[in-house]
Amino acid sequence: MFELFKEIRKAGDATIGYPFQPLEMPAGFRGKPEHKERLCIACGACAIACPANAITMDLDDEQEYITWDISYGRCIFCGRCQEVCPLYAIVLTTEFELAVRDKADLRESCAYPVARCSCCGKPYAAAKEVDYARRVLESVGGPAAADADAVSLCLACRRRDDALAFQRQARVASEEGGAR
Amino acid sequence: MTKKNAALRSGETHVQAVRDAFPGAVLDAAWQASDQVTITVPKDMLPDVVEFLYYGRGGWLPNMVANDERPLNGRYALYYLLSMEEADPGFVTVRTEIDPHSMEYPSVTPRVPACVWSEREAYDLFGLRAQGLPDERRLVLPDDWPSGLFPLRKDSMDYRRRPEPVTDVENYEFLYEGQAEEVTGVPMGPLHITSDEPGHFRLFVEGEEIVDADYRLFYVHRGMEKVAESRLNYDAVTFLADRICGICGNAHSVAYAEAVENAQGIEVPVRAQYIRTILLEVERLHSHLLNLGLVCHYCGFDTGFQHFFRVREKAMDLAVLLTGARKTYGLNLIGGVRRDILDEQKLATIAFVRELRSDVEALVDMLMSTANFESRTAGVGRLDPAIARDYSPVGPCVRGSGFARDVRFDHPFDGYRYLTGLKARSHDGCDVQSRTLVRVEEFMDSLTMIEQLLDGAPGGPIQATGWRYTPHKYALGYTEAPRGEDMHWAQVGDNQKCYRWRAKAATYSNWPILRYMFRGNTVADAAIIVGSMDPCYSCTDRVTVVDVKKKTETVLTKQQLESYCWRRTHSPLAGKGA
Ligand code: SF4
Ligand code: SF4
Repeated sequence: MFELFKEIRKAGDATIGYPFQPLEMPAGFRGKPEHKERLCIACGACAIACPANAITMDLDDEQEYITWDISYGRCIFCGRCQEVCPLYAIVLTTEFELAVRDKADLRESCAYPVARCSCCGKPYAAAKEVDYARRVLESVGGPAAADADAVSLCLACRRRDDALAFQRQARVASEEGGAR
Repeated sequence: MTKKNAALRSGETHVQAVRDAFPGAVLDAAWQASDQVTITVPKDMLPDVVEFLYYGRGGWLPNMVANDERPLNGRYALYYLLSMEEADPGFVTVRTEIDPHSMEYPSVTPRVPACVWSEREAYDLFGLRAQGLPDERRLVLPDDWPSGLFPLRKDSMDYRRRPEPVTDVENYEFLYEGQAEEVTGVPMGPLHITSDEPGHFRLFVEGEEIVDADYRLFYVHRGMEKVAESRLNYDAVTFLADRICGICGNAHSVAYAEAVENAQGIEVPVRAQYIRTILLEVERLHSHLLNLGLVCHYCGFDTGFQHFFRVREKAMDLAVLLTGARKTYGLNLIGGVRRDILDEQKLATIAFVRELRSDVEALVDMLMSTANFESRTAGVGRLDPAIARDYSPVGPCVRGSGFARDVRFDHPFDGYRYLTGLKARSHDGCDVQSRTLVRVEEFMDSLTMIEQLLDGAPGGPIQATGWRYTPHKYALGYTEAPRGEDMHWAQVGDNQKCYRWRAKAATYSNWPILRYMFRGNTVADAAIIVGSMDPCYSCTDRVTVVDVKKKTETVLTKQQLESYCWRRTHSPLAGKGA
């Protein structure tokens, strides 16, 4: 019994002042993911990596915008989004007080204008992402820069172009081979 | 592979022994990993072979996995997983194929009782009927689920569909196995809003003594295996596996990741193996402290409960430090871990470990010297070693009955391979006290392990790169969670998804023995017995008591039962129906 009282005395006050005092989380704590709309290029990497489907992306009904959505109600704070984002546009913070009165407040979304394929006219990516890709290719220079124009094509058109180019090349090669 | 190499593989002696004992039984033997072999046998030989390996060669049965392989080979298959723990340790899986026209196979349960839950589950989810299975009630599916809809068949249903309920009454039959003719049934559960996890227990009592018990769980079956098959890519399943348990999630996520890694032959970097092991032990720290706190609570020593939980908070802080979350969640990827342990974290961890050691030593002394502890736990909730041998329970439950079974030592994996001077703990009192003592010792061992592992961890990468994805290969992954072994069986498909994932949590192996632990105890002991199993579930919230002689039913609330458990006077049953 005496031991017990000694222990109680030694332990002192175990409770903390929270919520009347702020509670600091250590660095590296995985809390609410913060999305920086301006940095984001709507590439979709985070939406693919997110195991909980907290981040979703869609094309709006008028096919003018690509929407980026996050639901904090689904988020499991794993940090995969941060890991895969090429632009540090989504970063986990130490914020953990996420309760809201209205469920709708758990969602955040933004929209990015869509780019249309210069050949077939179908929407295929966010305009920002296309710009970004073009700038990267140009800054790399060399043969990559020569490819910069092709970013204005959708995947299907690009594949078709590539296939045609390959076919032409093969024809030329075989003609040359036949001539020899 | 050369002949010489082949002779060194573990499991070879078992395969040979089966060949010798049952000529012609082994249709095929294939190794999935250095310690895992699967033999295919004809289905009429199945009970003989499993029984032979189980009782004849030191096998224990963690689980049986059913699989719909019709798209692969036109048949269903069953995999009886056996953990060989005597000579030639390793895992031997006995596989048999079932023709989709018959859908039947001979039940192994009459020979090896440990199969009972798995065989019941195989019917619920696949419609595979075990002929001769003594207990054919539903296990997993709810009463209102239509019969004939088997959710894990590949062609059965979309995971988002919830069929119309076919009944609105609970029609599950609770079985009474005792001799006495007049018993009173005591239902506990199934649901109460304050309960964290639901279960429905029925105690059959004669006066105050429990003569038998039956129970039903799976009220919160979440269909995770189905979701993993259909919605997630195989590499995201580690994050879902975390969510199997609110306490030992990391153990599941490691087990899943290692199942895939073993199947695909991925070499996890040594540093990542150390980190996984450290995190598994951190998980054990807070889990065991929780259970020790609960033991105090059930002994009426609530001050002790508060103090164990105060100290437990330090273990949670340690988890935050190492993983960024109070739970050791979301750290595993196929091929390694996502966070390294930096030098300053290492130093802080060592400080935490020292503090925890001295704090917990003091608290344990207090618990041991509490007058109630001895009287409330010694000789209570006896798990007979013979019952334990038949049902393959795991963790502190089986280690409290004299069997030092622990996958960390029986089949060392990851960082456990490099530990020195430690062995599996066991006590042979077979009672609540022994199980508690095992936990106390294991807690201290975990601290030593963390120190050794932090010290020994080599530098290097924490994620494997450059491996090939081969569809349809399968293997086992296993960890020793705080409550016993978690066993995962995973097979990836040709679409970057799990073709089949079977996750077996520790407590799945322990529930079937609970009725034997109840027998012969009084109603006052029920709560502490369930607590000593440390099920992922401690709020056994209401109980129905059925008096065998008086034929009355009384519903007890959790509070009544708990307070009776402390005071053991003023029985809540007194006067009822007298
Ligand atoms: S990965 Fe980054 S850049 Fe790409 S959509 Fe997500 S937040 Fe935006
Ligand atoms: S933290 Fe994880 S769950 Fe949350 S949005 Fe990012 S990837 Fe999705």
